Amino acid sequence: MVKLKYKLVPNGSAEGKMPLNVALVNLKDVKVCGLTPEKACAAIAKSLDGPTAINIFDMEAVTTTSDGIMVDSAIVAMAASDRGKIHREYGFVPMAEIEYDDELIAIEPHLKQWDTNYKGRRLYRGPDVADKKIPVHNVAISGRACNNNSGTEMMDLVTMGEVLMPYIGQKEIMADGEVAIGLTGEIISVAIGMTVKEKFGRVFSTRRYRAGDTAHGSKEMAKTLKAEIPCIAASKRVHAGYIIKALQAGMVPGRDIGCAPAVLAIAKIMGFPINVENITEMAQAELDSIGFTADWMREKAEKHLTAEEVLARADEIVPGIVGMEVCKASELAEIRYAEIP
Amino acid sequence: MKLMHTKLTEFVQRMVDAARLSAPEKKLNISGMENVRTAKLQSLRTGRIANAVKEIAEDDDVESIEFIICPRCPETMHTVIVKGIGKEGKGNKAIVETVDMLVPTEDIYLVDCEQVVDRRPMMSVYTDVEVKDGETQVQAGA
Repeated sequence: MVKLKYKLVPNGSAEGKMPLNVALVNLKDVKVCGLTPEKACAAIAKSLDGPTAINIFDMEAVTTTSDGIMVDSAIVAMAASDRGKIHREYGFVPMAEIEYDDELIAIEPHLKQWDTNYKGRRLYRGPDVADKKIPVHNVAISGRACNNNSGTEMMDLVTMGEVLMPYIGQKEIMADGEVAIGLTGEIISVAIGMTVKEKFGRVFSTRRYRAGDTAHGSKEMAKTLKAEIPCIAASKRVHAGYIIKALQAGMVPGRDIGCAPAVLAIAKIMGFPINVENITEMAQAELDSIGFTADWMREKAEKHLTAEEVLARADEIVPGIVGMEVCKASELAEIRYAEIP
Repeated sequence: MKLMHTKLTEFVQRMVDAARLSAPEKKLNISGMENVRTAKLQSLRTGRIANAVKEIAEDDDVESIEFIICPRCPETMHTVIVKGIGKEGKGNKAIVETVDMLVPTEDIYLVDCEQVVDRRPMMSVYTDVEVKDGETQVQAGA
């Protein structure tokens, strides 16, 4: 009997940090079982009792992080399930495939990475508004389970526990790499707001906050808003690798990609330009509150490092994640099999 | 008549009456409307819901009745008013903001029920536009 293989980060794992189950499944395995993404999510839901967020990955596609870094692979559908069931209206959301278009690249300049680094791959970020049953958030909800921001921020809506799983960390789980586990802290709290403008984006459906602006818009408050949330991310070396790839493709923080502290730190130490003048007053106030002042950005690093040197010293250079511990993804995620009805 | 609406107080009274007339000995506990002070509720649904209360109340296996109102869509969007009051008790400055809440779906109230009769139309009934006889119509869904 064919069963659907998936990876499960169980509720209570990561030393109690996980507030719900998170199930990650490869689209290739879904197809092997002859299932649609929606039926695959239903099969996984049935195999688990508690609140669960489910993401389906196309490892051959490409996506963007909220700060505009392009990453190989993509979430193509997300779901939330509870007590084995997916809510018939709000529990499953497919992501929109974004068609390549020169006009689109002009409006969303971070997509120049698509040409340079990921040519020919299908692009997915958030859902098409026509497929969204919930008006504002890009979210799937069933019972207690909530899978938000296009599959990167999961919550139990009764206990109100939450976990942030930035995209690259999930990709590492799918690819059997390493993950960094800890708490978000002030750096990531600010970083979350440093988005880029995207139609059908991961967080926003419309092009609301350009590179150099902030979605938080709350000055010193921004560093406290998401500072104590469990976080499962990629190792800093892997995260740095994707940022370097974007910078080497000509992406300028503040102009093309968001001013997340990790992006700024790497750009500065490698001597890549930062468009300080394009950073809004509100975004700068948030960056100031965690020490990333305009003066700091303008100062040249004492010594510019090469990509290899940054990767070797990534834990020291890339800021963010409090109390970080790195482990193999296979130590965190279990392989499970769902019966197919 | 189809689009008439019922006063909040009358809506609540109708539910109380439906339970009391059907099974006066069974307790009815209403929750979820504590912060609603004034509202008009769909009359057509009011009749159907009162009948649902009657149906549940008349069930021999039912000892008491829970009447719960919760958001149909698990994301609710709210206006927030931060209002400054002056010395004479009169508002002098207000900031109006917006906030969305994500809340659980109705399933959390239904986990112990062996039988769930869902009489809600799908949300799409309110939004799907069909072309009939050359005219574009929106299904009412009442």
